[in-house]
Amino acid sequence: MTTATLETWKEISEAAYRDLENAVGAENVSREPAVLDGYAWQPTINDDPAKWVKRPVAVVLPSSTEEVQEVVRACNRHGLKFKAFSTGWGVYSGPTYDNVVQIDLRRMNRILEIDEKNMYALVEPYVCGAQLQAEAMKRGLNCHIIGAGPACSPLASATSGWGVGWDGVYMSYGHRNLLGAEWVLPDGEVIRVGSCDSGLGWFSPDGPGPSLRGLMRGSTGALSGLGVFTKCALKLYPWPGPSRVNVRGLLLDAKAEIPENVRFHLCFFPDRKRLADAVYRVGEAELGYLATRTAVAAFIYTFAPHLLRRIAGTRCLRDVLSRGVKWGFVIMLVGASEEEIAYQDAALRRILADHDGLSIEAMGVPAIGSMVFMNFFRVTAIPMVFRMGGLFSTALDRNDTWDTQLDWAEIGESIKRKWIERGGILDDLADNPFMALYESNMWAHCEEIFQYDARDPKHLASLEPMFIEFSVAAIEKCMEPLSATDARLRKIVSPLMGHYNEWQKKVSAMVDTNRAADTGMYCDEVDFDFSKVEPELKAKLDRLVERFRWTEDGPPS
Amino acid sequence: MALSDYQRDMEGCSRCSSCKWVPFNQIKSWRFAKNCPSICRYNFHAYSGSGRMIIGLSMLTGRSELNDHVAEIVYRCQLCGACDTACKVYRDDIDLTEVLLELRAHCVEQGFLMVEHMAAIDALKREDNVLGEPKAKRGEWAEGLPLKDINRERCEVLFHAGCRYSYDPDLRDTVRGAARLLLEAGLEVGIAGAEESCCGGRAYELGFRGEAENYAEDLLSRVKASGARILVTPCADGYAHFRYLYPRMGKEIPCEVLHITQLLERLILEGRLRFREEVPFLLTYHDPCHLGRMGEPFLGEWKGDKLQRPMSMKRAGRKGIYEAPRNLIRALPGAELVEMERIREYAWCCGAGGGVYEAFPDFASWTARERIEEALATGAEGLATACPWCVRVLRDAAQEMGAELPVYDLVDLVLQAAGIAEKERV
Ligand SMILES: Cc1cc2nc3c(=O)[nH]c(=O)nc-3n(C[C@H](O)[C@H](O)[C@H](O)COP(=O)(O)OP(=O)(O)OC[C@H]3O[C@@H](n4cnc5c(N)ncnc54)[C@H](O)[C@@H]3O)c2cc1C
Ligand code: SF4
Ligand code: SF4
Repeated sequence: MTTATLETWKEISEAAYRDLENAVGAENVSREPAVLDGYAWQPTINDDPAKWVKRPVAVVLPSSTEEVQEVVRACNRHGLKFKAFSTGWGVYSGPTYDNVVQIDLRRMNRILEIDEKNMYALVEPYVCGAQLQAEAMKRGLNCHIIGAGPACSPLASATSGWGVGWDGVYMSYGHRNLLGAEWVLPDGEVIRVGSCDSGLGWFSPDGPGPSLRGLMRGSTGALSGLGVFTKCALKLYPWPGPSRVNVRGLLLDAKAEIPENVRFHLCFFPDRKRLADAVYRVGEAELGYLATRTAVAAFIYTFAPHLLRRIAGTRCLRDVLSRGVKWGFVIMLVGASEEEIAYQDAALRRILADHDGLSIEAMGVPAIGSMVFMNFFRVTAIPMVFRMGGLFSTALDRNDTWDTQLDWAEIGESIKRKWIERGGILDDLADNPFMALYESNMWAHCEEIFQYDARDPKHLASLEPMFIEFSVAAIEKCMEPLSATDARLRKIVSPLMGHYNEWQKKVSAMVDTNRAADTGMYCDEVDFDFSKVEPELKAKLDRLVERFRWTEDGPPS
Repeated sequence: MALSDYQRDMEGCSRCSSCKWVPFNQIKSWRFAKNCPSICRYNFHAYSGSGRMIIGLSMLTGRSELNDHVAEIVYRCQLCGACDTACKVYRDDIDLTEVLLELRAHCVEQGFLMVEHMAAIDALKREDNVLGEPKAKRGEWAEGLPLKDINRERCEVLFHAGCRYSYDPDLRDTVRGAARLLLEAGLEVGIAGAEESCCGGRAYELGFRGEAENYAEDLLSRVKASGARILVTPCADGYAHFRYLYPRMGKEIPCEVLHITQLLERLILEGRLRFREEVPFLLTYHDPCHLGRMGEPFLGEWKGDKLQRPMSMKRAGRKGIYEAPRNLIRALPGAELVEMERIREYAWCCGAGGGVYEAFPDFASWTARERIEEALATGAEGLATACPWCVRVLRDAAQEMGAELPVYDLVDLVLQAAGIAEKERV
């Protein structure tokens, strides 16, 4: 959406630069173009063929909340915008305007507290998921790690963007685990959200004291459009396993000492209905530490992309994977005692039997056990998804009921199949949803992943039309369409969803009178360039938008 | 090769930041989770492996230009390979170290050089060593030892001392001891003495490629003339360049190439070297980058689309030397090995490599101090390692910190266990 052009980029003024130096110290600010470009290369989840985003005018490295405040105030004084950045993986962490100061929070990297008794951790932005998990495990605890993996900042996802992961079945969703936050508003004022503001500790995000959680986070997160979060408390969960999992080796030959109290089942069902019903039963029985429906092809292209390329060209193998093991479900059980794990195992087997399912106990399969355990427990394999084509993108539906999300997976698959046949994306056998379950499996997340090679102009040309096709399909099925972080799509879909963006704009105007925050990913609206989209598809979108648009009287009948 | 040959590698960077962390399966604590000294010290993304690749891409695509500041960013990096290994845990198509090397060659081509590096290269050209010491004195360390002079006679084992061992007075006993151990085991050992030259690896790392090729030629002709069946070196840098850089330049050494720890391990296993004395310490071991991940032999050049490169051809450090030094420690009577958190392929660098020791000594020392902290956290009574550069910088750092942690060259411990150290002193 943003563009690579440097034509409109201007150097920061001397006065503004001095102010930034005063805020963080001269060695912690830079305006060197090559350094700034380090923040402008954002190829992931970026459908602009150039893969560069706007270059910031400066980058700062604050070390404290006070320094963040000073930077934000300097931006206000000099008519600049700011954009926060924790670990910065993905297009949404880069600037969308020409006059943005990138706030790289790397120096704010401490775990300030782990409260074992009340089971929470107080963290700064640059603590990564793997660090927090390693420290929590030493205390018999664990933290939610999002599907983007352990390199990401738990603070960033809980306060500012999404928060979905395979452990959702046990540890829920990013912002559900938020127990309070320290928030530098776009004018530089700092407020604290939740019980911490009343000096009572970081145990509740909704008071005593101001809640504001809905306002600051909403559904997706403001993606730095409402200020900068400098610390937050996150809920931790029991981990009845060892304080450290020893792993030898790094690559696919890694061997992990898998704890005794862990079981990992790859389950398969004959059809969608039996899979769906079984998963509801699993939820009722409160089983699972991690769970997802993931296609076998996704495992293969992650761990052995060479093999998937061969399978894709072999009809009978394709059929086995696309049909024979299509309705698969992965679940990891963790028991606090031998009895508990035996119970969970037996309960799962009973559910499988009732739904004609079968399971492979993956931990016992040589070479696979270690791979799946660390991949799911610490989500370590995620950067491997780039092995197939070099880049991937995703058709993101949001969180809805489990059944609805199975629908979305099927819709996604059928759209992808078409684009694979046209050579518009890589052939990953089409069925490749990323799914997670939450809270007794009543609701779930699903996004359809697709792989492409940025060197292939045909692939690059497919991205925008696919984006629209997925959106049209979602609107048609009354699902929440694609990622609301895209300013083009936001403009199209906001009227269909209660004009939610009007409210976001109001919130933004209220806390950000100088418009200092970069709101490109939060509440800006931009026209979509439909030139690459087939006219029939565009016409269909227009009809749907007309049909489902909210009026002043409320939703369409 | 040129920087532009790696454009696809640079464009392949997804910006996942894995190159800043110990591979995620191996993160054991908050404190020792990071792997790249440069980004840890300077913090801007540009100082990471990914950041440097983006600098390269930015310059190649005309978005930014090389200048003194950018060149300095390029050189404030130990070329330790930790970023590359971490990236390759996940990716098949990015050769990060090669990009870092190309960036340096590009800096040299464009005339953006570090003054200290120019001094080292001048010294190299003048005296055939990067320390600027007189060439004539290179062989002095071996005085009085019954070693063969390969300039005149043939030998079974050619011992290449390397620049630092040849001249650093603190390490003289060590290098003499290494040779004595081989003699003790009954090997016929030869040296080139004053005619020995630098391996050329440091020059290559600084971006001066022509020099490196000349030194490779020189060594090759010496090995051939000596008739040696083994080339052994106690210098980890030299070892890595002999195993990786030389074959990559098409200069395959025509005999077995071993690091001293490998040969000592072999001699112990064969019963040719025996231990008599106790070395009653709890020791931790620092993997030198050039012996470990960077010491992986050249695996061949993959010519096709790197997305399709087989695992066996990606340089991910798996075939580096990790076990031989550990086995030596385990074999020392009374010694016990306790591991640090960052080891083997994902070990934290000592700080000396890539020309950092010469140009940015404060950064080298900062990096080494971080390693000393990690060693202290194990409760070890001593830190052993197997590279003269690591020994130098780690010893200095421990001293600066006032840390009660002796830093040993592993050869010294073997000498002690073999009861040779005393004899040498007498
Ligand atoms: C390969 C891949 C897979 C992904 N899979 C998932 C997934 O399974 N589940 C999921 O939830 N998400 C997923 N994402 C998106 C992911 O949530 C974000 O990438 C994640 O938040 C990144 O964390 P980060 O530390 O890199 O945050 P950043 O990229 O640094 O930030 C994410 C956003 O939050 C803003 N932000 C960061 N820190 C602050 C702060 N302190 N104050 C205010 N704003 C801030 C940034 O401006 C940015 O808009 C995926 C992304 C990628 C690239
Ligand atoms: S690990 Fe590799 S792909 Fe990821 S950011 Fe670093 S260089 Fe880029
Ligand atoms: S080679 Fe070492 S110091 Fe240089 S960028 Fe990579 S990890 Fe950092």
